[in-house]
Amino acid sequence: MKKPVFDRKIEDIGLETGTSRLTPEKIQETIQNVLASETGAKLKVYHDTCVRCGLCSKACHYYVSHDGDPTYSPVGKVVQTMAVMIDKKGKVDADFIYRAAQIAYTECNLCRRCIHYCPLGIDTGYIMSMVRRICHKLGVTPQYIQDTAHSHSATMNQMWVKDDEWIDSLLWQEEEARDEFPDMRIPLDKEGADIMYSVIAPEPKFRTHLIYQAGAIMHEAGADWTMPTLHGWDNSDMAMFSGDFEIMGRLKRDHFERAQKLKVNRIVMGECGHAFRSVYDQGNRWLGWADYPVEVVHSVEYFADLLRTGKIKMAQKVKGPITIQDPCNIIRGRGLMEDLRYVAHAIADEVIEMTPSLEHNYCCAAGGGVINCGPPFKNVRVNGNKAKADQLRRVKEQGVDLCLCPCHNCHGGLEDIIHSNELGIDLKFIGDIIYANMVKTKAVEE
Amino acid sequence: MKKIIPALLAMVLVLVFMLPAFGQEDIVELKDPAFTAPKRPAAVFKHDEHNELAQIDDCTPCHHEDVDEEGQFIEGDPDYKCADCHTVEKGNGTPLQLAYHKMCIDCHTEKKAGPVACGQCHVK
Amino acid sequence: MFNEIYELVTGPLAWIGWGIFLLGSVYKLASLWSLAKKKDTSSIYYTKAKFGLRSIAQWSLPFGTLGWRETPSVTVVTFVFHICLILVPIFLSAHVILWEEWFGVSIPALPNHVADVMTLLVIAGGTFFAWRRFSVPEVAFVTSGHDWFVLGVVVAPFLTGFLAYHQIFNYEVMIVLHVITGIAWLALIPFTRLSHMLVSWYSRAYIGSEFQGVRHCKDW
Ligand code: HEM
Ligand code: SF4
Ligand code: SF4
Repeated sequence: MKKPVFDRKIEDIGLETGTSRLTPEKIQETIQNVLASETGAKLKVYHDTCVRCGLCSKACHYYVSHDGDPTYSPVGKVVQTMAVMIDKKGKVDADFIYRAAQIAYTECNLCRRCIHYCPLGIDTGYIMSMVRRICHKLGVTPQYIQDTAHSHSATMNQMWVKDDEWIDSLLWQEEEARDEFPDMRIPLDKEGADIMYSVIAPEPKFRTHLIYQAGAIMHEAGADWTMPTLHGWDNSDMAMFSGDFEIMGRLKRDHFERAQKLKVNRIVMGECGHAFRSVYDQGNRWLGWADYPVEVVHSVEYFADLLRTGKIKMAQKVKGPITIQDPCNIIRGRGLMEDLRYVAHAIADEVIEMTPSLEHNYCCAAGGGVINCGPPFKNVRVNGNKAKADQLRRVKEQGVDLCLCPCHNCHGGLEDIIHSNELGIDLKFIGDIIYANMVKTKAVEE
Repeated sequence: MKKIIPALLAMVLVLVFMLPAFGQEDIVELKDPAFTAPKRPAAVFKHDEHNELAQIDDCTPCHHEDVDEEGQFIEGDPDYKCADCHTVEKGNGTPLQLAYHKMCIDCHTEKKAGPVACGQCHVK
Repeated sequence: MFNEIYELVTGPLAWIGWGIFLLGSVYKLASLWSLAKKKDTSSIYYTKAKFGLRSIAQWSLPFGTLGWRETPSVTVVTFVFHICLILVPIFLSAHVILWEEWFGVSIPALPNHVADVMTLLVIAGGTFFAWRRFSVPEVAFVTSGHDWFVLGVVVAPFLTGFLAYHQIFNYEVMIVLHVITGIAWLALIPFTRLSHMLVSWYSRAYIGSEFQGVRHCKDW
């Protein structure tokens, strides 16, 4: 069969300027260097043993959503990128690199669903992240995600939030919250607190009410907590996805060291998936930690604990059925499906599961840095996830109007999918619902 | 019907008694009755033709009785059957099938003549 | 003439083939291991026998995993193909006789008609895989010459073996072809995609450990 041509090139200024600076020598040298110094037996085994059976195809939402277009299957993406780089020993041209970057950055979410399908256990997500690593080293990265990596590098947070703006946001949310909870504080830099609460930079930037809500829940639960005023407060990590592992390492070190300087027992992090992946899976390993040096508790676990122990009680439950989006990085990545189910049933009358769900969930197609590649690639992820739209439509038909979605990326991705498919489903963080419906013993009387 | 059965029986009997007569005349295959459930067709072996071609006058090594101190075969009596010593089932000494195989194949290999692969003897 | 050729292919050639297979396999595994120790220490660190064996056990069950359930026809064919592929060359009665004559080891043999059917299943499985490589888009797209070569090499000894056993076409030619393709089959294992036979155990165990150990999630 003739190989289909790649006819979906998307213009992106980052990819364009990046490739315009390439020379064949630079491409070859960079590829050879990364292959020789940063990859080893793992990639070699994946490359040598993949029997090209195509069984992984059905795993991938991109493949499923494009009606079985083989160029979107996991192994299909490998044969268009890494396999050629290895076989040709790096002798590929700039157009090839453009294509490889577009595939690796925007047509794979590193969601690892395909591992449930490959009998040999080949990790296509890993292969794609090594393609990204090569593209990063060649300076060929989509502009938007590169911008977040620049921000990480310059400010140690993802959104160019300045030091004073950060503290301002916290004080502002504290002030707002004190209208409702007169005694509430957002304790800043409290040494020896039990918990350091960390968030991703989009929270102070766009979704400040999430900080308010988290503060209210912590307050109501009587937690001994703090938030840092200095860098290290942002747990997000787009450098991990852009292939800039050096910055990934710096970010994670900064985050952990902030917690260590504050002498807290543990870090509780907001409802974010990728940031969690970077503490238990990738950033920690880059730094040489088998696991994290300071215990990190995801909001899903934390909320489950608060509800189980009765520190937070629900005044009312959500009426009517809700559904659950299982974010890859906390479910397939860290097995929090039971806690998430516990929380969902504690805050809603009825839960209707999507199929597939739990560890077999489909990714939102925004994860793995794809949404961070920005507007040029929005349709890639929306059209690339008809599978998710179908899932949502099926639960909608069963009466679901609300989807519990404990991850920022999933929010972004699902929002666009719901909007463009006119599905009419509301997305909520767990914190949104707990805050709205919990028993507020410490609030002013209404 | 009643006449057909005795007639058939008679025919079978005649055939059965005739068989050894054929065998004595000219051996054409090694159909050792010790193999009660043979897995392959009997090996084709035309005794006289074989010996003429191979220019063999002695009956040893094929017809042998035991081995001497130096490991050489002691001449044996062709009237004995291989299966008299070599048992089909594994026991002491070389089992019957292996004895046949080794006797033929080893010699053919050494002489670089004669069949050595399964289907050359066990012709369908 | 035939005797010389037969002696060559079952003698020196066979020894060379087995030698390449055994030494090549040892070399392959040893070189991968030393590379892994240099470059993939974290992967080695996370690999745990308990999780690895659990994963291998689960993936050894037909339909035991999401992947196996999604494409049932391939699952059935893959299992049948591989089981027959491994059992027939070892337990075929003609081979059992050779094990005995050449190495003095005696093992039980498959009844001939069973082995015959199993051989046909390997050939049928190979045909099914070839059909997929032609007609199923996601397989066709990723298929290269290497895949055809490997498939051909694997099925060839079964095809020639079947024809030789039934003495179809010229027996002498067929048996020599059978021995040669069988030896190629072995010798190519360490150096082609067939090396999945040697290393997929480890890649499975590794990813199983990543999932169960680090990600607290099953990998099936
Ligand atoms: C014993 C360990 C082995 C394991 C775990 C294993 C596993 C697999 C798996 C999972 C596949 C993909 C399934 C598919 O294509 O449908 C496969 C394909 C294949 N295997 Fe194996 N295998 C093993 C041994 C062997 C051996 C010894 C050979 C032959 C020398 C072999 C030859 C093949 C071939 C030719 C294919 C590709 C079929 C195609 O063209 O799609 N395998 N194997
Ligand atoms: S998006 Fe997920 S399923 Fe698709 S190739 Fe990437 S990791 Fe595999
Ligand atoms: S399922 Fe595994 S072996 Fe098969 S094509 Fe996909 S990655 Fe390769």
